[in-house]
Amino acid sequence: MADSMNRGGMPDGRGAISAPSASGAQPADAAATSGFEGARENAQALADQVRSKIAVQLEKHRAPSLLPKHKPFKRDRHKPVKVAFFRYCYYDPAFKFFVEQVLDAEYLPLPAPTKRTGELGALHSSDYVCTPFKHHLGDYIEALELGANVIVQFCGPCRLGYYGELHESILRDLGYEFDMLNFSVGAEEGALGWAKQCMKTVNPDLSVTNGLVKLAATADMAVKLDEARDFYLANAGFERERGAFERTWNALMDDMRAAKTDRDIGAAYRRAMEAMRAIPLDKPADPIRIGVVGEMFTAIDERSNLGLDAKLLALGVEVHRALNLTNRWIRYNEPNLRASAADYLTYDMGPTSTLTVAAAHRYAQEGFDGIIHAKSAGCTPEIDCVPVLQRVSADFQLPVLYLTYDSQTSDTGLDTRLEAFYDMLAMKKEKMRK
Amino acid sequence: MAKITLRERDYADVRVVGIPRGLLFYRYGAGWRTFFEALGRTVVTSPETDKAIVDAGTRVSIDECCLASKAYLGHVANLVGRCDAVFVPCYASADARAGFCTKFQSAPDLVASTFRDQGVRVMSMLVDRASNDKAAREAFTELALRMGASAADAKRACKTAHTAQTHVDKKRAAAQEATLRHLDEQRKAAAGASSSAASGVGGSATPSPSAAPAAPAAATSPLAILLVAHPYLAHDRFMCGTVVDALERMGATVVFADETNHDRAFKRSFDFSATLPWRINRELIGSILMLQDRIDGIVLVSAFPCGPDSMTDDAVMRCIQGTPILNLMVDAQSGTAGVETRVESFVDILRFQQMGGYIHG
Repeated sequence: MADSMNRGGMPDGRGAISAPSASGAQPADAAATSGFEGARENAQALADQVRSKIAVQLEKHRAPSLLPKHKPFKRDRHKPVKVAFFRYCYYDPAFKFFVEQVLDAEYLPLPAPTKRTGELGALHSSDYVCTPFKHHLGDYIEALELGANVIVQFCGPCRLGYYGELHESILRDLGYEFDMLNFSVGAEEGALGWAKQCMKTVNPDLSVTNGLVKLAATADMAVKLDEARDFYLANAGFERERGAFERTWNALMDDMRAAKTDRDIGAAYRRAMEAMRAIPLDKPADPIRIGVVGEMFTAIDERSNLGLDAKLLALGVEVHRALNLTNRWIRYNEPNLRASAADYLTYDMGPTSTLTVAAAHRYAQEGFDGIIHAKSAGCTPEIDCVPVLQRVSADFQLPVLYLTYDSQTSDTGLDTRLEAFYDMLAMKKEKMRK
Repeated sequence: MAKITLRERDYADVRVVGIPRGLLFYRYGAGWRTFFEALGRTVVTSPETDKAIVDAGTRVSIDECCLASKAYLGHVANLVGRCDAVFVPCYASADARAGFCTKFQSAPDLVASTFRDQGVRVMSMLVDRASNDKAAREAFTELALRMGASAADAKRACKTAHTAQTHVDKKRAAAQEATLRHLDEQRKAAAGASSSAASGVGGSATPSPSAAPAAPAAATSPLAILLVAHPYLAHDRFMCGTVVDALERMGATVVFADETNHDRAFKRSFDFSATLPWRINRELIGSILMLQDRIDGIVLVSAFPCGPDSMTDDAVMRCIQGTPILNLMVDAQSGTAGVETRVESFVDILRFQQMGGYIHG
């Protein structure tokens, strides 16, 4: 008997639910009421819609498993292994360095994402899974079309830890043949498990000693990229000549992509920092400062947040963002970070929650003008951070803009919200100055 | 374990403990209640979920939270003023293959932040690895010491609580096994009756052009539905009552997936997935694999928008074959009529299949 997939409910049910995404500015005190009204309206719109689905497949064509045992697909021994990552912010040079220097394989760079990427990802994912899952799936499909034969996924303490296996299962069911370097597999054994995974899926002749040295260099590259980015975010909004920072940044990315050793990395970093410091600025003594906090992908990744960095810089804002690979993974000390915001946090609330709250708290103490909280739709840990952020906001009289992104979020809608938020902060600042 | 000094007996003055009837209460509630009662405390629980509670919870929640979480906050609101402290434990997601949704991890701080202005006191402790009995016991011992108990009393309370919870779990698993065995017998009897009535017309799954004579016999053969939902949905009348009632009204027997022996189901789930990070989802999926051949249909119920279920529901629908599956999403306002229609049409499909199914199948 054929599959009969029957989708109940209204076809535009999703629209109704994602409507409050980018739910707008919730300044300190007004936060409560406006949020609730939205919720009630929303619930009303949902009345008598039941989202249901039926699967009837009476014959067992597969073992009841995400990844039934399959014949290992045969790679051409004389062709290089092409490894692809998903698209992730400005870390593509670090991924390239990792693949070429640590795994000793060929890196397959992906072109800029298009509308099709997002659509492919959303088409093959469950509709209420978090948005990064859909983006990554789209990236993988494009990577496999471009000739990748190994794709890489991270591990993490939330849904991210399950991304890899589910991606692999969906892609295999779509008929793609590839190997998956999934860092969630082997996570119990830690570094040893990951090394085994790398050998098994990419390169059995991997040199562990060389790998470790180069891994340190990869981490160093990530740190340097983050440092350069911090400088860029703080200053690029005030450049005298439009596009000067962008140009230097692109040069840095090119240099980093070409880097083969840690010496190349250091040289590229120094060159870029010198060039950026030399750019003439028109920076007021007391500029508007905004801190960006949020979830691992959406708060950083330009594609996921529709170019939030660029939009803020264009408004002439000093942007700070504590969340990056360096602060979340390389130098992450959760208990100490939590202690810095002990008034608000008792326990570790989730993968990036501590960083979100602690950073927001720090920005508040440092007298920032506003905070932007960016997350993907349905990101449970970051949703749970919102009540805590509301407390920080109320205690320090600090406006917070809550942004929720899904695959439908519009660019224009974001522009309007950011401009309104900026105007509000500028007016507040003007008033305080008098 | 950290040594507790007198200064840190900060919960010693809590005489009446409030436990919200939501989320993990449905999984560990029996143990929690026994634990506090063994320490000589009075336990107050919030009443069964109803519309007023969900509405109260929705009012104080971020609108993107899942229904179960909104209901939970409603239960906390219900306990305000009725107890000295509300017990909101922190069950961590750190366990790589047996963790919890981050909701259970963030619950204490979430509740504290949400109800700060009402002065709600949150009593909490961290269960790092719930799968590890020793670690869980240590967490509870520490809580008992903070409540001012002596080391011996703390140990005794933990033991009593553990025994009580195990007893409840065992009783549920045994009852489920009895139901399943009864269903097996009924099915055998029905098959015997049908084969004697119309010789040669075999099992219910075999499509046969001569299905008509078998129809009266098949009508008496039982219909078992495995209800797969987080315990805080499956056993909450407000969330799942409509589904269960509709199924039972249609003459189906409902078997709850979360009542299957937890450890065995958990182990079995590794056949399905190597990296699935959530303990409860593992137990549910393991239960599907264990019971699939003894039931006729599966109903997956999720609270909108459940994080873990957003990834497992589709995977189950795609990868578990051989049994029809209905996936229902419940939210605060899903009308009962809508749910009933869908359940009825699903049961109709199953009945039709029992009677021989489509001829061209």
